[in-house]
Amino acid sequence: MFLDLTEEQKLIQDTAQEFARAELEPVAAQLDQGDDRGPMLANLKKLAELGFMGLNVKDAYGGSEAGVVAFSVAMTEIARACASTAVTVSVNNMVCEVIQAVGSEEQKKAYIPKICSGEYAAGSFALTETGAGSDPAGMTTTAALDGDQWVLNGAKLFITSAPYAGVFVVWAVTDREAPKGKGISCFLVEAGTPGLIIGKEEGKMGQHASATNEVIFDKCRIPKGALMGKLNDGFRIAVAELGGGRIGIGSLGLGVGLAAMDYATRYATERSQFGQKISDFQAIQWKIADSYTELEAARLLLMNAAFRKEQGKPFAKEASMAKMYATEAANRACYHAVQMLGGYGYTQDYPVERYARDARITSIYEGTNEIQRVIVSREILKNFSS
Amino acid sequence: MKILVCIKQVPDMESRFRPNASGTWFEESDLAFRMNEYDEYAVEQAVQLKEQLAGEPEVTVLSIGPDRVNEALKKALAMGCDRGVHIQDPAPQDKDPWQIASIIAQFAQGEGFDLVFTGMQSQDRGSAQVGVLVAELLGYACATTLVGFSFSDGLVTARRELEGGIKGVVKLGLPAVVTCQLGLNTPRYPTLPNIMKAKKKDVLTIPVADLLHEEAVAATARFYPPEKKGGGIVLEGDVGNLVEQLYGILKEKTTVLR
Ligand SMILES: Cc1cc2nc3c(=O)[nH]c(=O)nc-3n(C[C@H](O)[C@H](O)[C@H](O)COP(=O)(O)OP(=O)(O)OC[C@H]3O[C@@H](n4cnc5c(N)ncnc54)[C@H](O)[C@@H]3O)c2cc1C
Repeated sequence: MFLDLTEEQKLIQDTAQEFARAELEPVAAQLDQGDDRGPMLANLKKLAELGFMGLNVKDAYGGSEAGVVAFSVAMTEIARACASTAVTVSVNNMVCEVIQAVGSEEQKKAYIPKICSGEYAAGSFALTETGAGSDPAGMTTTAALDGDQWVLNGAKLFITSAPYAGVFVVWAVTDREAPKGKGISCFLVEAGTPGLIIGKEEGKMGQHASATNEVIFDKCRIPKGALMGKLNDGFRIAVAELGGGRIGIGSLGLGVGLAAMDYATRYATERSQFGQKISDFQAIQWKIADSYTELEAARLLLMNAAFRKEQGKPFAKEASMAKMYATEAANRACYHAVQMLGGYGYTQDYPVERYARDARITSIYEGTNEIQRVIVSREILKNFSS
Repeated sequence: MKILVCIKQVPDMESRFRPNASGTWFEESDLAFRMNEYDEYAVEQAVQLKEQLAGEPEVTVLSIGPDRVNEALKKALAMGCDRGVHIQDPAPQDKDPWQIASIIAQFAQGEGFDLVFTGMQSQDRGSAQVGVLVAELLGYACATTLVGFSFSDGLVTARRELEGGIKGVVKLGLPAVVTCQLGLNTPRYPTLPNIMKAKKKDVLTIPVADLLHEEAVAATARFYPPEKKGGGIVLEGDVGNLVEQLYGILKEKTTVLR
């Protein structure tokens, strides 16, 4: 049993932390409040140049070959400073990894280096639809072969980074007659393809600098070679890749939760009421003890899931456990952090208000925590039913 | 050209420091360590010089300390140094600057380094002696507190920070030692691929006993936190009166209005 990070992982954590403190933290509040996403896009470019867009991607495709544990600790450090930047980095890594896992050599060479280098600010993962959220196999977007082209029709919803993504991984029904989930395929669609329309951007509670848009396919024609992986194997690909993405989102949640608790704890040692520091009240001490214990447990669950993935072991159950627990621990930590700051915690003069809004989505996207529980219990019950 | 960069690993300066059991240094067990900030400028300048000379110089980075200093060495290697030297010493804090400088000089003797970069001082001890002592022991030219560096035609041109905001410019022939001040350059972040590739670079390990032949000339008698300051001054009165009081204090006790 060895619970320490390697020297390389520590250095990556330090680099992420230093970058986050120096470049991300100073613009996070402004990105949350304003309409100008410029500073985030500039930081994404710098993060790409440092190698943060393909942590678990091969050198041959421009990745860092740093592994999944390094990905997790990097996400946490980035999210401590700016959750919007963090979710973009997480999705970019997931897009690189799905292409690396199932793309052809040509597809890998065409797209992964562009995301890793920052030539593309982002890649998008386009699975969800209005009628297909927790149940993505219920999607209705279709792809039909017409000569040597696929024609896509339909619409995706809630697609992270859509307005500045260079490439979209898109799922569509290719066999309507097949049993549910057996007739879906995965495609690569380049930004700017005629018929690919970036729809309305959602007004959200938090993570404001990260765009979330509808993406419409109106007789969108893509080459036959844009099919990724095997025909009708797309749903399996989505399920497999979301496991890795969950490690990213859990780590992101952990970062926001830690940022909130660190801020609130420091505040509690400075704020006095009734002639003493509020950190002297047991009610405050228990919030600190409970929150840091939960966040530490979350960290260990995430490290375990990341380590299993890195070792090539099954990790879907562990990733779901970690995502579910970490994001709920983060939300509780943010709730307590606001409480510890009293009225000040509810104002935009203090960052815990933003942390609380940014953390909220983490128990919803990349599979709601209800769905994580479905996955975890299914994996466990497998071993009990006859 | 052969370049040596000397780096130290120091605690994160945002840590809370407590005296250790012997009361002569701080307790290290709970602290996170990182490369001394001044040394980051030294590494960056050495790597920039290597780049300026199309990669010709070999840059060696050296650190004295326990196993944890390997992380600082790895960072320097990831930033672009070519090879590392780890002088293994479980307790470098018990050695004085003279001994530390003698260890570095002993290693450097005969290696034929043309240029040695060090930080101006360490963030924890802050003696600012090691660089100059190394220069003295090796018989090298030396310039301290660099805020500007250039190299051409075999000469180093160093912009030095002097007292009271004055700068001085000196030229040095090689071999030379220079010590780097904050603001000399902007140290690069190591890229992740370079962090991973640094694994493959050589790090030579030498037990400190092989290089240490000097007795200490200074000893730390006591390490203690400063006395708690009083509560400060609270001014009272109406605004006009407050301004007058504040003006008086600024004028008498500070240089702000001079
Ligand atoms: C900011 C943001 C960014 C996003 N980014 C992306 C993206 O980049 N790509 C992408 O494809 N999608 C993205 N999504 C979509 C996200 O993954 C979905 O919103 C999420 O999976 C939930 O789907 P839904 O919103 O349709 O909710 P629904 O599926 O309608 O769920 C509603 C409620 O019912 C519960 N529920 C549903 N089914 C079950 C069940 N079987 N058992 C128990 N409870 C159940 C849910 O847990 C939830 O509480 C994003 C969403 C947001 C808000």
